[in-house]
Amino acid sequence: MAASVHGRQFLDPAVVARLSTLELKARTVVEGFLSGLHRSPFKGFSVEFAEYRQYMPGDDLATIDWKVFARSDRHYVKKFEEETNLDCHILLDVSGSMAYGSGAMTKHEYASCLAASLGYLMNRQRDAVGLAAFADRIVTMQAASARPGHLRALLVALDRLKPALETDVARPLHQLADSLSKRGMVVLISDLLDDPERVIRGLKHFQFRGADVIVFHVLDPYELTFPFERATRFEDLETSEEVVAVPALAREAYLKAIKGLIERYRRELGSVGIDYQQLSTEQPLEMALLAYLSTRARAF
Amino acid sequence: MPGFLAPLFMLGALAAAVPIVLHLLKREPEARVRFAAVKLLQLAPVEQSARRRLREWLLLALRVGAIVLLSLAFARPFFSRTVEAEPAGVVVVALDTSFSLSAPGRFERAQELARSAIRQAPPDALVAVVRFADDAEVATVPTPDRATALATIDAARVGFGATRYRPALLAAVGLITERGEGDGAIVMVTDAQQVGWASDDGVMVPGTVRLELEDVGPLVPNLAVTDVRLAGGRAIATVRNFAPAAREARVRLLVDDAMAGEGAVSLGPNQSGSVALPLGEGGSRAEVRVEDPDGLQADNARFSVLDGQSATPILVVTASGDLGREALFVQQALLAAGSSGSAYEVEGVSAEALSGWLVTRLHDYAAVALLSTQGLDRRGRELIREYAMRGGRLLVVAGPGVDGDVVTGALGRGIEVAMPAEAASDPRGERRALMPVDVRHPVFRTLGAAAGTLGLATFRRVASVGAAECDLLARFTTGEAALVECAADGGRTLVFASDLNQAWNDFPRHGIFVPFLHEVVNYLSEGRRRASEYRVAEVPTGIAPGPGFVTLPPARAEASPRVVAVNVDPEESEPARLTAEAFLAAVTRTAPAPPDGAPAGGRPVPPGQQAWRYLLWLMLGVLVVESVLGRRTA
Repeated sequence: MAASVHGRQFLDPAVVARLSTLELKARTVVEGFLSGLHRSPFKGFSVEFAEYRQYMPGDDLATIDWKVFARSDRHYVKKFEEETNLDCHILLDVSGSMAYGSGAMTKHEYASCLAASLGYLMNRQRDAVGLAAFADRIVTMQAASARPGHLRALLVALDRLKPALETDVARPLHQLADSLSKRGMVVLISDLLDDPERVIRGLKHFQFRGADVIVFHVLDPYELTFPFERATRFEDLETSEEVVAVPALAREAYLKAIKGLIERYRRELGSVGIDYQQLSTEQPLEMALLAYLSTRARAF
Repeated sequence: MPGFLAPLFMLGALAAAVPIVLHLLKREPEARVRFAAVKLLQLAPVEQSARRRLREWLLLALRVGAIVLLSLAFARPFFSRTVEAEPAGVVVVALDTSFSLSAPGRFERAQELARSAIRQAPPDALVAVVRFADDAEVATVPTPDRATALATIDAARVGFGATRYRPALLAAVGLITERGEGDGAIVMVTDAQQVGWASDDGVMVPGTVRLELEDVGPLVPNLAVTDVRLAGGRAIATVRNFAPAAREARVRLLVDDAMAGEGAVSLGPNQSGSVALPLGEGGSRAEVRVEDPDGLQADNARFSVLDGQSATPILVVTASGDLGREALFVQQALLAAGSSGSAYEVEGVSAEALSGWLVTRLHDYAAVALLSTQGLDRRGRELIREYAMRGGRLLVVAGPGVDGDVVTGALGRGIEVAMPAEAASDPRGERRALMPVDVRHPVFRTLGAAAGTLGLATFRRVASVGAAECDLLARFTTGEAALVECAADGGRTLVFASDLNQAWNDFPRHGIFVPFLHEVVNYLSEGRRRASEYRVAEVPTGIAPGPGFVTLPPARAEASPRVVAVNVDPEESEPARLTAEAFLAAVTRTAPAPPDGAPAGGRPVPPGQQAWRYLLWLMLGVLVVESVLGRRTA
């Protein structure tokens, strides 16, 4: 089953969920996604020189090799091959709240698939990709690397992750920000059901360290629409706290709260240059890949 | 003291166990969902378990309460007052005094039943006594004094009226309801004759009034003179035997209180027979009696007036008032006895003298025949006009004594009468005959086949009568209107377009003249003929309501008093009776008058039994609260 966004055909997450392994899921998503990008503006991130070509009207002036012009008094543009020069860190929230899912995939499964797809894409572009899973602390961490075997190790690590612990996004973010040794990109995949102020402060910490940050705010459709009808006893996935609510009476206030949370993240993260992408688990994963590539294009 | 009218409905309260069982079986009815954004949900109006539990128990209580209230309402609870506190109202004893109770011992039996009803009235109830026959009379107004009521019953006497239940019940209901409470009882002490209910009687008695029938018992075997007809110099008496065995009835005729004849007739059970007895010469009053010492006394005699003292007065207006000279044929025709045995009292007056009369004096006559307008001045014309317009019965004979213009001006209403021109060349004039237009009209209907002989009379001269708004009853063979009727405000005016004294025609010399004139005057005087016989219930005011001969005062100063006969209603002798159930079924029971502000209609509900309405309202209120609370808990 495919979904269409801006004329492109993307895989429905329900279809992806039926694939057996995480690697297969990532490859399916990325290869399908890239096959649709042959005329996309995202080609040519690498800076490895390939050849010269005489300037043609319409070529980007930035690609003119002025040194050659000085030497030969002719305009040549440089052609490059893709080449890795970026450390990308995927921060994956594995708190208990990520275990919630009303459809084909839980938020954790969706986030894992997204992380795998991003890792696959980054690896394919020869970017160094690393993974840090956290809840109230860092659960697992793999340093960024562009080695071919690193992707497999990353996928295995993703496969082993199970959401269980309580959320405390801010503390691991600060820990990870402190551990960054060079400028790179940080991709946070979380439901962000935490104190927004602390979360934003942690993300700003990455910016302070010179990293470009992109946030994927993953939420379940039921969390976005609250479609419950009859009185329900809601049990918190992390704290096991229970509340009983009549949806007809609680819906308006809840939706106001969730929309307020989303809007706050969008507004405050945007104001500091952090890309924010809110995703529903029923949205195609390619949407996230597009957002990533867009951010990466701006970074270079 | 509380109680229930339908206590079995209280079993419905067992249904209250249903919500209790459901509550116990499904103590946690809400779904359980593991949810991620519970922290956000806590910003919404959610409830804590303890508060919810309290609400659930409240809901359960409301549901159980609604079921119990419904059961209670259907069980119709009531709160009876103590006997001492409840007013007993009025007990009205209606005592039948009709002559059907006149057989020996019968009325005494009725009195004893009435006394018993008074004695059995609740101690704090008021008692009243109503005597009734054709009409009802309140003999004792509601009083706590039993002695007064008993004395009234002791003093009551049987009368000559016929039984009529309606006035008695109306009077009794009036006595009860005038006190405003509407509680009480009516005890009808009567022999329950079927004739007491007329076909169109409709009596409504409030549902809160207890109605009882105390039956005096069936009528005794009885002989009654039910009718006397005078014909051919004989009195033909009809006697009926109201008994299960054959009897021989001996009948006597008394004329002016003297024995005039005697006869006998054998009558089978419940059979009637006639006895014809010669009246003889002279005499003015006839009385027919049958010997029946053991039966009803009042129906043993029947009275009749023989002479013409009660003949219907007719005023004939001529030029001089001399009827023998100016209206001989009219006078003689009216004085002759008609087919019904009745005759008219004919009085003449001159047109000039009539001008000095008042219209009320004209109304003393059953009808007025205007044969001449000579001497009728303006005042006389206005009198005629007013009489005709105010219900008068007028016959205008447009003969030689009548001036067409005067008649036209006097009658008005578009009636135009034109007299014929003098026929000098042909003194006999054109010959024509009379011809009815509608033989079904009362004037011609009773003439039957004899109406055809009207055509034998020859009319030489006729007046021209035009009246667009009047009915044409007869015309001449030459096409002119012969008899025209104009009716207005209960009055009738007939205009005959020729002479009735043989001046313009030979009509008076034909045999049909007298019947024709009788029917014309009969029709005009309909409803105004003097009765020579009254029933007891119909006697004029001031006359004792008993059978016999009564002298009535004269209607006019110059008239003489007249004697009329008063007889009992023969229907009262009918022995057919009603059962108590049939009697009560003939009475329509109505809801009591609602208290101020309460809606009218609906089945009467005694005070203290209204609790079910409040219970239903309370149950509805509980359901509304349950609905609101349940929606918040659902």
